[in-house]
Amino acid sequence: MIGPGTALPAMTVEATPTFVVATAVATRDFQDVHHDRDAALARGSKDIFVNILTDTGLVQRFVTDWAGPAARVHDIKIRLGVPCYAYDTLHFSGEVTAVDGDRVTVSVIGRGSLGDHVSGTVTVSGVTP
Amino acid sequence: MTGIGGRAAVVGIGATEFSKDSRRSELKLAAQAVRAALADAGLRPADVDGLVTFTMDTNTEAAVARELGIPQLRFFSRIHYGGGAACATVQQAALAIAAGVAEVVVCYRAFNERSGHRFGQFSTALASAPTSSGVDASWSYPMGLGTPGAQVAMVARRYMHVTGATSEDFGRVAVADRRHAATNPKAFFYGRPITLAEHQASRWITEPLHLLDCCQESDGGVAVVVTSAERARDLAQPPVLVRAAAQGSGPDQFVMTSYYRDALTGLPEMGIVANQLWAQAGITAQDVDVAVLYDHFTPFVLMQLEELGFCPRGEARHFVADGGIEIDGRLPVNPHGGQLGEAYIHGMNGIAEGVRQVRGTAVNQVARVEHVLVTAGTGVPTSGLVLGR
Amino acid sequence: MTVDILGRAGQVRAAGECAPRSARDPVNQPMINNWVEALGDANPIYTSEAAARAAGHPGVVAPPAMIQVWTMAGLHGRRAADDPLQIMTALLDEAGFTSVVATNCEQTYHRYLRVGEHLRMTTALEDVTGPKRTALGDGWFVTTRNVWYSGEEPVAEMRFRVLKFAPGPAAAPAGADAVRPVVSRDTAFFWEGTAAGELRIQRCGACGTLRHPPGPMCPSCGADDPGYVLASGRGTVFSYVVHHHPPVPGRTVPFVVALVELEEGVRMLGGLVGVDPGEVRIGMAVEAALTRVDDGLTLPDWRPAR
Ligand SMILES: [Zn+2]
Repeated sequence: MIGPGTALPAMTVEATPTFVVATAVATRDFQDVHHDRDAALARGSKDIFVNILTDTGLVQRFVTDWAGPAARVHDIKIRLGVPCYAYDTLHFSGEVTAVDGDRVTVSVIGRGSLGDHVSGTVTVSGVTP
Repeated sequence: MTGIGGRAAVVGIGATEFSKDSRRSELKLAAQAVRAALADAGLRPADVDGLVTFTMDTNTEAAVARELGIPQLRFFSRIHYGGGAACATVQQAALAIAAGVAEVVVCYRAFNERSGHRFGQFSTALASAPTSSGVDASWSYPMGLGTPGAQVAMVARRYMHVTGATSEDFGRVAVADRRHAATNPKAFFYGRPITLAEHQASRWITEPLHLLDCCQESDGGVAVVVTSAERARDLAQPPVLVRAAAQGSGPDQFVMTSYYRDALTGLPEMGIVANQLWAQAGITAQDVDVAVLYDHFTPFVLMQLEELGFCPRGEARHFVADGGIEIDGRLPVNPHGGQLGEAYIHGMNGIAEGVRQVRGTAVNQVARVEHVLVTAGTGVPTSGLVLGR
Repeated sequence: MTVDILGRAGQVRAAGECAPRSARDPVNQPMINNWVEALGDANPIYTSEAAARAAGHPGVVAPPAMIQVWTMAGLHGRRAADDPLQIMTALLDEAGFTSVVATNCEQTYHRYLRVGEHLRMTTALEDVTGPKRTALGDGWFVTTRNVWYSGEEPVAEMRFRVLKFAPGPAAAPAGADAVRPVVSRDTAFFWEGTAAGELRIQRCGACGTLRHPPGPMCPSCGADDPGYVLASGRGTVFSYVVHHHPPVPGRTVPFVVALVELEEGVRMLGGLVGVDPGEVRIGMAVEAALTRVDDGLTLPDWRPAR
């Protein structure tokens, strides 16, 4: 039975340099800070870091891994926190915050070693965990 | 006469073009510069038996020898401390020649310092080396001070405070260098002089230094060929004798951050070099006809004029404002445009200009040149040369 | 301020949607495959016809979160001149709010997309608010709204918010990505001291000479077993630099680094915080303000004496 407070299974993502670069390119985001460590350092960053399009994708994956292939994602609303640099690990956790008929709202947090990297809500229907 | 004065001569100079993107490897730049210098001297690679460069150079002597087809090397050596090594490479060559361990020694420096690893950036790698240099850097880099511009600005601010020098006084050095570069077709800033107003309007890099107080990172290579004075007499170019060559490191010395000794308004290591140069060459500062002063940042040109004895302490700003460093001034400085105007090749292009001034072949030739002073990197353990006929 | 930010924002908002940008490629399977491979998303409806049909789709569908990917400008892309975010960015740069950080991204998907659909995207300025004081500095929030169309049908929307800010005048203390010192056996006492809240100066065990930076052997007498004394934490600015360029890890420009002459007689470099860079003078009285970065590092910063 799904209701407010239902926890989603945790998800861990290793943000290896390969992951950071592969996801940046797969999302067609060619800003140098996502693939060029020297450029990232020159711009004051500690290393290359995960891009926003990937954050949205990871939040979606976290929810649909739980909600199942039949689910429909209606919206993904995220706030962006501290950067997720290469070699960090992101730990996603979340829980159901509201159920309205078939529509389920899930809150999600993706946390790295520096703190909350991404947080937000996802509305999904047709959940069959 | 003491030292190696007059026993060795520079007989060839060579360089690649200077650019922001050489589009070739640093080894290729080195090989091309060395080959050009040998051609200038009328020597073949097989004549070379010694190579000297900077510890910072990424091209090993073996690799350069291999590319040139130099069959055997009997002497190879490297000097530390960045641009402070420039004139010391010639000193190494002269020492080896005077000692009879080598006969033809080529000094080279080649890098893609703009398109490749940029010196002007904040280098965390330098600050994390497990060496005495890394420990030294740990008193400045973690505090946010770690670019050459910032390291020089700390000294410049104190110098301004004590002497009354202003940003405009620094700017006049840049204006003079750029005026000289404007008529040097090989220079980065050929045809592009600047005004003092443009200097003042350029953005802050590390206050009190403006953008136009700083040399630009460059790609390129320079080489000079050194041999004995005797052999020099039979070669293609008129010999340019190494009248004096010296190194210097001062009290409580650090690399770019000697902030803990007395006044912070002088360059004691350069004073140590100067005293040796005058003694070896048997001259004084007043006998210098042209000075090629290391000018990666403008304030150190003023401080060198004082440290080298061209004017009293604190008076360099008047010396410069009165036109003292122009081609027709009391002491023509950097007629090629210096590193601010020609290119930043770690001081090696300044040695080549010194050679041209003695030969009488420079684009901005000073009349009746007998003695040229060339200095190497400032703020670091350094070196200098007196070249002459 | 000479730049009329709100006035210009009103004009841009009134102009509505900019000219649409067309996707380079239609929604296609290879880009979907690349995306699910990189993201590690195993949802079969993106790759398997059978699974997609079983889930009630007419065939394979694109991951909703890919919506922005289809219309990315690409490797050599530039934003169009009439792009509202581009216009506001240039305006705020001019007004001194030169740094940017994205704060919110909210996507709504009206339906799932099929392979072969060709998308166009428009951008409109939704809102500009400010100036606001934030942890990063004073700044303006700029919110844009994108709409993706398949043919004439809107299929997805995105609200995107950035903070354009001017880094605070009081130099921010070093961040977590600060450069770490190399600590040797000779210098460990200093860094252990800052971590313990103490500013320590090396003192020769034999002749008593104070020394900073410290080293293993006293240059005055040759003794090699130094101790240390605690500094009073008072000093004056001997020289200083206002750093503007290039960027420095862990710092936000402009920031001040000062060479401080301690009242004990030695000099020490440190960040000078809590002061407008334009107010710093040689000779000004300062006091130690140790800045704890994390468990491993506390920096010897300074601030104006109270
Ligand atoms: Zn002692």
